[in-house]
Amino acid sequence: MKKLVTSLLTLSLLLFATPLIFAWSTNDQGTLNSPDSIKVDIKSPSIDDQTPVASPYLLAQAGGVVVGGYGDDDFDEDLEGEFAETDSTKSDPFSGYNSFMTDFNDGVYTYALDPVARGYRWVLPESPRRGVVNFFKNIWYPIRFVNNLLQGKLGNATEETGRFLLNSTIGIFGFWDPAKEWFDLEEHPEDFGQTLGLWGVGAGPHIVLPFLGPSNLRDSFALAPDYFIDPITYVRPVALSWGLVIYESVNDTSLHIGEYENLKADALELYPFLRDAYEQNRIKKIQE
Amino acid sequence: MRLLTLFSLFFFLFSTPLFADEATEVRAKTKSSIDKVIATLKNKSLKKEQKKKQILDIVNPIFDFSKMAKISLGKQHWTSFSQAQRKEFVSLFVTRLQESYLEKLDMYTDEEVLVDDARTSKGNRIEVKTRLVSKDDSKDMEYKFYKSKKQNKWLVYDVVIMGVSVVQTYRSQFTGVLKKESVDGLLKRLRQSGQFNVPAGVK
Repeated sequence: MKKLVTSLLTLSLLLFATPLIFAWSTNDQGTLNSPDSIKVDIKSPSIDDQTPVASPYLLAQAGGVVVGGYGDDDFDEDLEGEFAETDSTKSDPFSGYNSFMTDFNDGVYTYALDPVARGYRWVLPESPRRGVVNFFKNIWYPIRFVNNLLQGKLGNATEETGRFLLNSTIGIFGFWDPAKEWFDLEEHPEDFGQTLGLWGVGAGPHIVLPFLGPSNLRDSFALAPDYFIDPITYVRPVALSWGLVIYESVNDTSLHIGEYENLKADALELYPFLRDAYEQNRIKKIQE
Repeated sequence: MRLLTLFSLFFFLFSTPLFADEATEVRAKTKSSIDKVIATLKNKSLKKEQKKKQILDIVNPIFDFSKMAKISLGKQHWTSFSQAQRKEFVSLFVTRLQESYLEKLDMYTDEEVLVDDARTSKGNRIEVKTRLVSKDDSKDMEYKFYKSKKQNKWLVYDVVIMGVSVVQTYRSQFTGVLKKESVDGLLKRLRQSGQFNVPAGVK
């Protein structure tokens, strides 16, 4: 138990203290990382600045794209009113650190997780990998159960319990999902960050966590209770526990190869893009 | 006063079903477009470029891409752009949106698209909810329509994927870039980053 507390303390220090330290050392202007060095160049840097407009555009434009109305007379303010202020950078105190950590995580994904997951995908066919996804989902039942309860979603909590009982037994340790296929019992993913959100706790400033990716103050603190409920936390030796966590993420990535790159291609700048996408997605998840 | 009550009652009675009809119509149109896109994707006899062209032909009539470009930039920035800059911005951004959409479709493997319901909001907006259902998960996609007075038809002005609005996400990015860089800087970025080169969707 003592060991657990120590490792948890170390983890939380790592998770929570680093953003603060970075934020202190970067000030407002991000002196630690000069703005130029943190800028994410999504497309290959080999493209020369002087290169004229690439041909695909010309082709597409020639392809009959209707582009009209360059005057501001038909600017529909009514439509624009539906969207939030464009100035979302205002309340982002950790932006310097966050951009840096986004680059770090991007590197981890591109140079470690993605190649490993590709190799793994080549070795193992899709169906056993799906089985592994089911297995971990089943293991994490307590997190969903507790958070559904805390959010007053009794029906969902019951449904989750039914799923757990069925899948652990006739689903052979959760590798298979008969609860969904035969009994139409759906999964209801909830985490403590969503619970806090439902209770009215604001998101707080955005924080990018090392390895874990985009988060915010509320969701970062919410990791601790979920970590305590997570059965994998109690697997011994500790190395095995960590190994399982890493293996799960490799397995999961292997089923979503290319999706991150696809998403990334939409970004002009990676950090603000991922930040906005994360925060908007969380709002929706809390509302559900 | 009584006349007013009668009038509003009248209005209430007749306007709601009218809009409901329009919502049903927009929903049906969205569904048929999605079905056509999926049929095109599944058609193995077509080459990639042919597929892209066919899909754009299906999608273009119901999307108002240039409106999306404008509200993504925001009126404040839009008015500060010169005519030439506006023109280039819209054409770059529209191409980018279309390319991005087509690349997303490249990831398509076996998903089923369910078109849920269409909701009228604020009288002049219709939201069509769809779900992209695959083996292991389901992604919500919402198409937002407004009634274009100019073209007198319902057109998409935003797509919301799992709660993430395409327009909203671009809005803050454009503001972020324009804070640090000039308009030409932004246009240069759009020119460069519009090329998508993403691995195909193999699981």
